[in-house]
Amino acid sequence: MRRCNNRAALRERRLAEIAGVALRSDELARIRDRLGREPSAVELHAFDAQWSEHCSYKSSRHLLKKLPTSGTAVVLGPAEDSGILHLGEWKGERYGIVIAHESHNHPSQVVPFEGAATGIGGIVRDVLCMGAELIAVADPLRFGRIEDPHSHQRYVAQGVVDGISAYGNAIGVPNIAGDLYFDERFDDNCLVNVVAMGIVKESDVIHSYAPPGADGWDIVLVGKATDPSGFGGASFSSLTLDAQDEDSNKGAVQVPDPFLKSVIMRASYRVFRFLREQGLTVGFKDLGAGGIMGCSAEIVSAGGYGARIDLDAVNVAIEGMRPEVIAVGETQERLLWVVPPTVTPELLRIYNDEYTLPEIAYNARATRIGSVTAEKRYVLTHGGQSVMDVDIEFLTGSIRDELPFGELPARDVTSERPLVTGVQLDELIERVLAHPDVCSRAPLYRRYDSVVRGCTVIPRGAAGAGVLAPVPGSPLGVALAVAGNPRYSHINVRLAAEHAVYEAVRKVVATGARAIGLTDCLNFGNPRKVDHYSELVAAIDGLARASEHFHTPFVSGNVSLYNESAGGRAIPGSAIVACVGVLNDLATVVTMPLKSAGSVLYLIGAPQGALGGSVLLDVLGRSDEHLPRIDYETIAAQHDLMYEATQARLFRSARAIGNGGLLTALCEAAFATMRKGRAVVGAQIDDAFQWTHGTVGDLEACFGESGGFVVEVAADDVESFEGLADEVSGVYEIGVTIDRPMLVVDDQAFDLHRLQEIWSAPLREVYP
Amino acid sequence: MNRAVAINLKIPDNAAYTALVTLRRLGIHVMRVERSEIVRFANAPEPRTLAAAVEADESLYNPNKHRVTVLDDDAPRSGEVWIVQDDADRPVGWRLYSAPGVPAGPDVLAQAAERLLCNPAIERAIFSK
Amino acid sequence: MSKRIAVLVFPGTNSEDETTRLLRDCGGDAHLVHWSRAQTLPSYDAYVLPGGFAYEDRIRAGAIAAHDAAMDHVIAAAQEGKLVLGICNGAQILLEAGLVPGTGEIRRPTAAFTKNAPAPHFVCAHVHVKLRVDPTRSAMTAALPRDAVIPAWTANGEGRLAASAEHLHELEAGSHVAFVYAHEDGSVDDSASPNQSALGVAGLVNREGNVLALMPHPERDAWTFNHPDRRRGDAMLATSGGAVFFRSFVEALQRT
Repeated sequence: MRRCNNRAALRERRLAEIAGVALRSDELARIRDRLGREPSAVELHAFDAQWSEHCSYKSSRHLLKKLPTSGTAVVLGPAEDSGILHLGEWKGERYGIVIAHESHNHPSQVVPFEGAATGIGGIVRDVLCMGAELIAVADPLRFGRIEDPHSHQRYVAQGVVDGISAYGNAIGVPNIAGDLYFDERFDDNCLVNVVAMGIVKESDVIHSYAPPGADGWDIVLVGKATDPSGFGGASFSSLTLDAQDEDSNKGAVQVPDPFLKSVIMRASYRVFRFLREQGLTVGFKDLGAGGIMGCSAEIVSAGGYGARIDLDAVNVAIEGMRPEVIAVGETQERLLWVVPPTVTPELLRIYNDEYTLPEIAYNARATRIGSVTAEKRYVLTHGGQSVMDVDIEFLTGSIRDELPFGELPARDVTSERPLVTGVQLDELIERVLAHPDVCSRAPLYRRYDSVVRGCTVIPRGAAGAGVLAPVPGSPLGVALAVAGNPRYSHINVRLAAEHAVYEAVRKVVATGARAIGLTDCLNFGNPRKVDHYSELVAAIDGLARASEHFHTPFVSGNVSLYNESAGGRAIPGSAIVACVGVLNDLATVVTMPLKSAGSVLYLIGAPQGALGGSVLLDVLGRSDEHLPRIDYETIAAQHDLMYEATQARLFRSARAIGNGGLLTALCEAAFATMRKGRAVVGAQIDDAFQWTHGTVGDLEACFGESGGFVVEVAADDVESFEGLADEVSGVYEIGVTIDRPMLVVDDQAFDLHRLQEIWSAPLREVYP
Repeated sequence: MNRAVAINLKIPDNAAYTALVTLRRLGIHVMRVERSEIVRFANAPEPRTLAAAVEADESLYNPNKHRVTVLDDDAPRSGEVWIVQDDADRPVGWRLYSAPGVPAGPDVLAQAAERLLCNPAIERAIFSK
Repeated sequence: MSKRIAVLVFPGTNSEDETTRLLRDCGGDAHLVHWSRAQTLPSYDAYVLPGGFAYEDRIRAGAIAAHDAAMDHVIAAAQEGKLVLGICNGAQILLEAGLVPGTGEIRRPTAAFTKNAPAPHFVCAHVHVKLRVDPTRSAMTAALPRDAVIPAWTANGEGRLAASAEHLHELEAGSHVAFVYAHEDGSVDDSASPNQSALGVAGLVNREGNVLALMPHPERDAWTFNHPDRRRGDAMLATSGGAVFFRSFVEALQRT
């Protein structure tokens, strides 16, 4: 701990402690120097928020510059609240897919329901504020050990899903993708990542900065009344504040209000229409970390302006809140507009009169709180006095923590010899299907509305990616998938990050879509610990490498640090990725369920001997440090084949291969055919040697997780498909589909009904 | 002895607020609404032990958002109505106040239950003895 | 002058867009009518209450919306014999408003769509509903074939019909049970229902047949691209599946 060896520093420390801020001595000194005086309490809180890791990305921003962020499909890269990718054209209009990705890990560990719900709330606002209509959400989740029904992990796992369900369902945005992993290193630090997707005409995009000519424009705050949650004393199930309310909510629980959000969304869509009709260009941004101060400072400084805001004009939940609480508190469900003063009355009318915000939640409304100024200062007034007056670029300018990191130690690579085990294949299949990372997630995703809005082509759980028809009347389609395997992170964080990109991309490709872009969330430990920080550096390298090779730039992302337990143990360094794909014509979409007996099954993707990180090794209680390689050139050719074949409508079904390998993928494709009154379609696979020729062992072929696809081709299309596949390496004919509910592997037959029950059962207990 | 515990939110309760607004819209002039989950215990230990037991159960109580009150009786408090759907379920408790610290009278409470808080087709309302 | 359909939007309604789009694709002149413009409702000829979470289902699903000014107009319209259709949250509102089954007083519900069972959680699943009454029982269903089986999605946490034993008996006796959950092949058994709804009820109709409360959403399996089982060569953007129900509704309106 640094010693304070001068009186000024001591004084600053004392002030900071009194104010309850976490600024370091060196940061306090910088502030005092720049201001030329002691900072006010409001200023202390403002810098504390703005320079916090969460707001400033001080430990990671310079690292993130390594990620590729441009490309032909990029309409807007990661500079604003969401990224935008080009979907296609319809009736002379260019449409963009708006996409954002965030985490809400720490709040979800403490109050799972509220933490996860407000995570959805926040990510939805990031998309909304680009002028887009919300069309989907996704939730990649990682929990600790949940076997014990009384464990905190079980409470978290259930509360998080309840929160995501309650919020997403109420606002009417379908959940079409997500995933779920369990690992003991998430026991004290769950990961709740959320992705939101929107649709916008590219000509209608609204930016997160005050546009040219905005000097003198109004700053209009919209949404929930600002309250002191996080600072104590908020409750408004009452029209007057009781003594009982004094001690309420001293913790930092942010309260979700999807009812209010639903109305705000629809009111905002109405505002978008108005702006379009008037041909106006304005600024719109959502409030997150740093509250009113953070949002208003950023929206104006990004345009080269300053701002002057009167905190007395803010709609508040209770009277008498201290100015720093109003300025920096993180009340949910709020957004900020920068508009010409002539527009303000209509804005207020839409939100307050037409959409009756004040009747939806206590003192919710749109209200003008200040002005954009040409002078580049950030000024807050309260009670007629100035309580903050700083150089805005000093406030919002990027700060940087160049922290030390090292190369991660190379692991010993064991040689690739075929796995040998005394456990029989039938038992292996059952153990793999019952594994927590493989078993059916239906009990979880049945809690999510996957089809609201009527645009769903492939709902959650029906394939590895969800697919929507987001423009009514148009054949354009969009696909969304997520990935990021913690079992791989244990072994090699860099390669695990590459695998996350590869997996998300191939799940999109399996539906017939072209992968066009990515988002990421980097969930890591303590950047001040060299080990943890080095993992972050390595993961970014891995993401960058894979992104380059797949020509899928990153357009949005998030970093969540300090995910470590009280004992200092970090989570598996988790780069979680979402991939967006587009379909020019929905007619070419490919679904997962096997379609009919008598088709030929192909494996696209050479099996490898490496089983490191695989579910198979996990169920055998073994480990190996040898992760599958990613051969980008070969994979590129395979993905081109997938695209050509889907364009030519040569696939009856397709499934990306992931956890549990080929046999798991086949089982899932067969399980999807098992509905009442329907004929089950099973599969019969040749003895693996027939297609591996002994290059890998049988178990590696059946359960290896090196990626790829299993596809179903009608007998009549075999010639066409094999013609396309001629020059592509890693394509193997492996068997046929059959009209019995069996999975047959060489000469062994397994009952699909039995396997389906084993696969379906485990999560039912957690999500009844 | 049978005891009841009321668990309510110490963070803002949106549902209670909307209930308040709706009751007022219906001409039932209450000033405050508190909503609780009522957990009833047969053969309960004495209040402090009971409260501790409830607070130790994460599925019932999270210190960041809940407040626990052990009731004097296994019955609604003054100004409170319990809404029960199936006897096996936990009642929802609605406590109404006409003024700060002043629980609503039985007429107001009965009106609120009849017009809004209780669906007689599937629920019944329990008032204090 | 074509007949106009009001698609009501309460605060928290979320399925209004696809419902309106489908009604139009089925030939209806459908318009969104926002809660702050409820006073325009009397000028419409038929009413659809779409799905969603009006008031976030606070207190009970549909309980608060049933008291909204918009519902005063819907109640009046229903009493005049105009067609009123409620889907999911809309169905819950109609029951809370006493319009369905309509054998009691206004705003004194006699039955409810309440918490699902066995587990009281939101369930989103593909289902089928079967027309359980004679198609002529309601103008809205008159264009459907006898025993029609219609695909839909259930997406709710409070979709289970509950009422006293005597009232359930009355519902049967009065032919109020318009739709029940069924399998794709039309067979009906307990496993067809996603929520243990009493009598397997998916939809109820009032005595006059002009007010229908349907819990599942046929509009979410209403275009070919929604179907799980679309085939190569199907016209992806055409209406099909659940659209048949909306076409019947539109035709009924055009006949009035």
